[in-house]
Amino acid sequence: MPFTYLRRENARAAGAALPAGERRHASPGPEPPVLELIGVGKTFGKTTPLAALADVSLRVSRGESVAIVGPSGSGKTTLLRCINFLVPYDTGRILVNGRLIGYREHRGRLVPDTEQRVNDIRKRIGMVFQRFNLFPHRTVLGNLLEGPLYVLKVPRPQAVERAKAALERVGLTDKIDAYPAQLSGGQQQRVAIARALCMEPELMLFDEVTSALDPELVGEVLAVIRRLAQQGMTMVIVTHEMAFARDVADRVVFMEAGRVVVDHRTAEFFARPATPRIEAFLSRFAVPGGAG
Amino acid sequence: MLQFARDYLPLYFQGTLVAIGVTLLSMMLSVAIGLLAALGRLSGSHAARSIVSAYVALFRGIPPLVLLYVVYFGLPSWAEQMGIQPLAAFLAPLNNRVFSAVVAFGVNSGAYSTEIIRSAIAAIPHEQMEAAQSLGMSYWLAMRRIIVPQAARVAFPPLGNEFIAVLKGTSLASVIGVTELMRDAQLVAAATFQNLMAYSLAGVYYVALVIMLQSAVTWIEGRLSPAHK
Repeated sequence: MPFTYLRRENARAAGAALPAGERRHASPGPEPPVLELIGVGKTFGKTTPLAALADVSLRVSRGESVAIVGPSGSGKTTLLRCINFLVPYDTGRILVNGRLIGYREHRGRLVPDTEQRVNDIRKRIGMVFQRFNLFPHRTVLGNLLEGPLYVLKVPRPQAVERAKAALERVGLTDKIDAYPAQLSGGQQQRVAIARALCMEPELMLFDEVTSALDPELVGEVLAVIRRLAQQGMTMVIVTHEMAFARDVADRVVFMEAGRVVVDHRTAEFFARPATPRIEAFLSRFAVPGGAG
Repeated sequence: MLQFARDYLPLYFQGTLVAIGVTLLSMMLSVAIGLLAALGRLSGSHAARSIVSAYVALFRGIPPLVLLYVVYFGLPSWAEQMGIQPLAAFLAPLNNRVFSAVVAFGVNSGAYSTEIIRSAIAAIPHEQMEAAQSLGMSYWLAMRRIIVPQAARVAFPPLGNEFIAVLKGTSLASVIGVTELMRDAQLVAAATFQNLMAYSLAGVYYVALVIMLQSAVTWIEGRLSPAHK
């Protein structure tokens, strides 16, 4: 039974005495955002606390791709890792398809949720890491089968079909029996994307996926992500590739010191930098402003 | 010398088989204990961590010969003196020499295996666990599917060394009368008075065994490494 989370004020506004599940079907309103962050905060360290995230709010609708940019240490990666609860956030709420991740409400307070329910949400979120993190002891096919076989319990023939389809999407059909160590960085990263796609995610998270690549391998990975965006995948992309963000993202979020400074449509973000700080930041990437 | 070796070949060969058998069983026990204890030590449970630390400290400290005496001469007779029937019945299998030897060597070696396997698991980058969890795997599923298989490769060479140490240690089982290689050598020495010949021949057998074992370990290690494929 999926856990449908409704904010109390929303529930009141909806008013009806119907159970939550039925209310969702009954209301003709827009579907909930795939991802919603409400006042999320995260502090690392106890003796010398460092606020990695402070009061971050963000909504990502189905089919939208949002780029998160900003200087190093601004909390971009932490934000991404909080979304699938690899890092537990301290305050606020993160809702994935309307389901609260990592906590559940118990007598009006948030208490840590069970590992199983966190995993239940996680398996709908694909994550691609900066350093690929493929499983080195398994072939490409083995990497793609782990999730479908052992988490989703898809029968092997169907799982293999999925894996082949995913490999085709990233253009690596011929590498199906290779081991990760035999692939270039760009190929490994494309396999990592395929591994996430095999879970048929509703949301993809990309964590600086080209930062560890040789410059000439960046293009092939970005091309795969661009294609996913065109196919309507919902994505949150942490990146330093400004030209890419400009090309692929519907919105750009600029973060600094753990806060969202601006959250603008992409064209607007690049055409009219909202603050001198952002203008200075963009100038370093030699992305010509004003052309959007 | 050659004549001597030829005459006693069947006896020494039989002893060798017993030594190998005791070693294999001991190592199975040792690795099973080591894996469980390593997982316990790495788990979040404070109790499990303390128990494992105590086990390692205790059984790394006891000489195997002392442990063997405790297990074989000590435990079963103690249980009988206590007169607790279920306990006596539980410990009765230890009256079997081979079983006692396997338990003593396995438990002793398990302390080393624990450390070997624990450090092998710790050597797997944390990102592997995160990648598995990002696919929705639970901690234990990720351990089983992703972390332990990789750790096995890391742990294999040091476990091979442990295997050799246990093999040589099985010669201690002669003192409780297990007719393994060393015990056979003692019998031959007593019967022929050719002490030097009898014991040296046992030494030759051990050296040959260890060399074969080492090559097997190296061969399997090569097969396990991803570079081989």
